[in-house]
Amino acid sequence: MSDALFLHKDHLLPLLRRLGREYRLVGPVRNGLGDTMYAEITDLDQVRLDLRNQPQNSLKSFLFPQDDPLASYVVDEGPAREQALTYFPILPENRPTLFFGVRPCDLFGVLYMDLVFLGGRYRDIYYEQRRRGAVFLVLGCNRPFANCFCNATRSGPFLEFGFDLQLTDLSPEGKGYFVEVGKAGGRAITREMAPFFHPADEEQARLQYQRVLESRGLFEQLVHVDLACRLLEQDQDTSAILADLSARCQDCGGCAHVCPTCTCFTITDRPRGKDSGERVRCWDACTFAGFSLMAGGHNPVDVKRERLRRRFYHKLKTDVQRHGRPSCVGCGRCVDICFGGVDIIRFIRRLTDLDEARSTAAGKET
Amino acid sequence: MTNTIGEIEQAQVILVSGSNTTRTHPQVARRIYNAVDAGARLIVIDPRATKIARHAHIHLQIRPGTDIALLNGIMRCILDENLIDDLFIEMRTENFLALRDMLLGINLADIESITGVAREKIALAARTYAQARRAVICYCLGVTQHTCGTANVESYANLAMLTGHVEQEFTGVDPLRGQYNVQGACDMGALPAVLPGYQAVSDATVRRKFGRAWGCELPQKPGRTLLDMTHGALRAGLPGEENAPLAAMYIMGENPMLSDPTLGRVRTTLESLDFLVVSDIFLSETARLAHVVLPAACYAEKTGTVTNSERRVQYFRKAVEPPGEARPDSWIIRELAARMGHPMPYASEAEIMEEICLLTPVYGGMYHDRLAAGHGLQWPCPDRDHPGTPFLHKYSFTRGRGRFEPQRHVEPAEPPDEEFPFTLITGRSYYQYHTGTMSRRSPLLEREYHCPRLNMHPGDADRLGLREGETVRVVSRRGQVTFTLHRTDEAKPGRVSCDFHFRESPANMLTTAANDPVARCPEYKCCAVKVEACHE
Repeated sequence: MSDALFLHKDHLLPLLRRLGREYRLVGPVRNGLGDTMYAEITDLDQVRLDLRNQPQNSLKSFLFPQDDPLASYVVDEGPAREQALTYFPILPENRPTLFFGVRPCDLFGVLYMDLVFLGGRYRDIYYEQRRRGAVFLVLGCNRPFANCFCNATRSGPFLEFGFDLQLTDLSPEGKGYFVEVGKAGGRAITREMAPFFHPADEEQARLQYQRVLESRGLFEQLVHVDLACRLLEQDQDTSAILADLSARCQDCGGCAHVCPTCTCFTITDRPRGKDSGERVRCWDACTFAGFSLMAGGHNPVDVKRERLRRRFYHKLKTDVQRHGRPSCVGCGRCVDICFGGVDIIRFIRRLTDLDEARSTAAGKET
Repeated sequence: MTNTIGEIEQAQVILVSGSNTTRTHPQVARRIYNAVDAGARLIVIDPRATKIARHAHIHLQIRPGTDIALLNGIMRCILDENLIDDLFIEMRTENFLALRDMLLGINLADIESITGVAREKIALAARTYAQARRAVICYCLGVTQHTCGTANVESYANLAMLTGHVEQEFTGVDPLRGQYNVQGACDMGALPAVLPGYQAVSDATVRRKFGRAWGCELPQKPGRTLLDMTHGALRAGLPGEENAPLAAMYIMGENPMLSDPTLGRVRTTLESLDFLVVSDIFLSETARLAHVVLPAACYAEKTGTVTNSERRVQYFRKAVEPPGEARPDSWIIRELAARMGHPMPYASEAEIMEEICLLTPVYGGMYHDRLAAGHGLQWPCPDRDHPGTPFLHKYSFTRGRGRFEPQRHVEPAEPPDEEFPFTLITGRSYYQYHTGTMSRRSPLLEREYHCPRLNMHPGDADRLGLREGETVRVVSRRGQVTFTLHRTDEAKPGRVSCDFHFRESPANMLTTAANDPVARCPEYKCCAVKVEACHE
C-alpha cells in the first residue's frame, strides 16, 4: 500500500488542466443529445465530463481509426504508357495522449490491440505512432452497467495491472479518489504533479477495498465465460446454437465496430482523380460475407452461421489458445448495439445452458 | 406512419405487407423481433419468402399484385366470424354498408385461386389480426408500386377500420418510408397537387395565404406527376396544348436515369429537353445528361431538419464544410430565385423554419430551438407549447369520419404470357442504397454486394438449364438486361426478382410504365419477362 495516494474530487479538473498542457486529453464527455462518448478534449471548460456512465465507444478509434489514410499515391505514366504508382506514407503525428476516465475493460482492449499491432513479427507503425507515450488513468467501476460481465472475463471492475494510475471513487464517505500507481507513466505524473496527491490513509484503503468487493456483487449479468471457453476447447458442437442466432443477424457489423478488441481491417485505394489518390485502411468485420471472398468469386465461409462462428470462436477459443485468455473484455457493448440479439452473452448462455442440461440429464441417468 | 416506431414493440399482432423489413428497415425489424419475443404474432404478406417472412407465424405468399383480393378475403372472414368492431364503425366511419355488400358478394374460392393462398390460411390470418387488441399494419413499396397502389392502401385502411385498429396507441397503419427525408419532402409540398402541409393547390384560400407570404400569385393548376415529366416527350400533347412536353427541367438529388421505369423513355425525354439542370452530390447517370450540373452539399454539410417515417422532425447541424464549390440546395434555390428576379432574403435556416411554422399548421410549433433541444417532435404540432403527436387519429380522422372505400381485384398491367413467362419483381438489397450514387462509392459496401443478381427458383433454373452464377439475359417488351443467376427458393416458380441499384444492369430498362391512376406510381413490382442463357 506504499504506492497508494489520495486525490481530492475538487482537484481532478485542475490536475487534468495541468496535464493538458503536456498531453492531448481524451476522456468521457456527455454530448448535447445525452450520449456519453470518449472524445478528444481541447477545452475542459467547454465540455461536460461524465465519469458516471459507460461511454458508448471504446478507445479503439483513437489508436486505430475507423478510416485511416496510410499513404497517398500518384500515378505516373511511363514512356510506353504503362502506369506506375508511387506511394508516399502518411504517418500520423505522435502526440502523447492522456486517456482519463478509462474503464478497465477499455484499457484491456488497448492491451489486446498492443498484442495484435505490436506483439507480432511486424510492428504496425501507424498504431505505434499513436500509441507511443500514451498514459492511461483508469477509473474503476463502483457499479457495473446493465450489460457488463467483466468479472467473468477478468478485465474489471477493477484492475490489478496494466494501468498507469487507477482511480477509485470513494464518495460519498470519502470526498475523492483512491489512486493506485501502476506503470512508469503514472509514477511520473504523481511525481511531477505531487502537490495534487496525498498519501492515502488506512481508512481510505479500507473504503477502496470495500468498493471493490461491493462492485463484484452488483453484476446483473451472470455469464460463464470460462466454462464456455472450456466447452469450445473440448470441441462442443455449437452448430445448432449458431444457426439459431444467425437467423436474426442483420449483417450490419455493428458488434465488430463497437468491440474494443475487434481489429480486422481492409485496405482500399481511394482515387482523388485520375492521377492521384489515397490508400486507406478501414475497419472490417468477420461477420461480413465479403470478408473471406476470394478474387475468383469463391467464398470459403459463405454461410452466415459459419461467419458468426468465426467471430465468437476467435474471441473465446483461438485467442485463449494463443494468448491464454479470451479476447472478449466483457464490456457488453455488442449486447446494446445488436438489432437481433445476436450477442456474445446470448451465445455463451446458450452454450453453457446446453452443458448444464446435459449434465442434469446425465445425473438423472446414473 | 400513424404510430411511433417504438410502439410496434408493444403490438400483439404485426401485419407486414410488401416490405423486406429486415433489409430495408432494420430498425423497424428490430422492434418486430422484440415484439415477437414478447409473444406477438407476426403475419407477413409477400410474394417472396423474404427473411422477415421466414420469421412469420403466418406467411401469405400471394401472387404479385393480388393484395386487394387477399384483403377482401380476410375482411370477408372477419365479417363471417363477426369479429368486426361495431362501435368503432358506428362512431367513427361511414360507407360501411357499401363495403359489407361488396364483401358479401365475393366468393372465397375465387379469392383462393386469384391469390394462390389457401382459404384456411386467410381465415387464420383474419382471426389473428381481428382478435388482437393491439394490432399494427406495416406496409411498404410492395403495396404501393402497383397499378392499383392507391386501392391497395385503401384496402389496408378498410381492414384497420373494420376492426377498429386505428385510434389507440399500439394500433395503426404504418407505411414505412424509404429515404431519410422522403416524408419531409412530401410534408413540404414536393407533390404536384399540394402546398406544404398537404394544403391543396386547388383551394383559393390556401393559395392566397401562400401568395401573400411569398409576394406573388400562385398557379391554380396542380403540377405534373413524376412520370408525366420524365416520360413526357412520349405521352404529351403538341406544343401549345395543356400537356405539351416540358422544355426544361431542374432535378435535385434524384436519379431518374436509373430509378424510373422504362428507362428508354426517360432518356428520350431528358435528351429532348432544351435545358436540363441537375444538382447532386456526385455526377449521377442523370447529371451526365445535364447542360448544367450544380454541386450540392450532402447531409453532413448543411443545417436543417429531416422528417422520418414516424413524422418526427429532427434537427441536424452542419458537421463539416461542403467541399469545393458545393452548396446546400436551399442556397442554390435562393440564388436561382434571386437571379430570376424573386429574392428570398432569409438570414438563416431557422428563419426558413419560422416561415414553415407560420404557413403549415401541422408544423406550427416546430421551431429550430425546440427541435435542437432534443430528439425532435412528431407532427401535428400546431404551436410552441404542443408536445407533438405520437400517434394519429385519436378522436377523429383528418376528414372527420373514416370512409370505407370498397375495392375489387385489378389484374396487374402485364401478366405473364407464353412469350414472357416470368413475373419480375424489383426490389432493394441491404448493402446498396437506391441507385447507388452514394453506396457504390463505398469500397466495403461495394465488396459486400456488387454483382447484380437475378433470383430464380431452382426448379425454373433446372428447366431452363441455368447454373448458379451463370450470366443470363432478361428480356421484357421494353428492353433487355444481363444479370448473374442466383438460384433460391425465395420466390415461387414463375417469379423472378432483382435489385435496381446497378447502372451496369439497370433493372428499370425492363419495368413497365403502367401506373396507378390516382398517385401515378408506376408498377415496379410486376412485369412480364423471359430469361435466357447468355452465350457470349
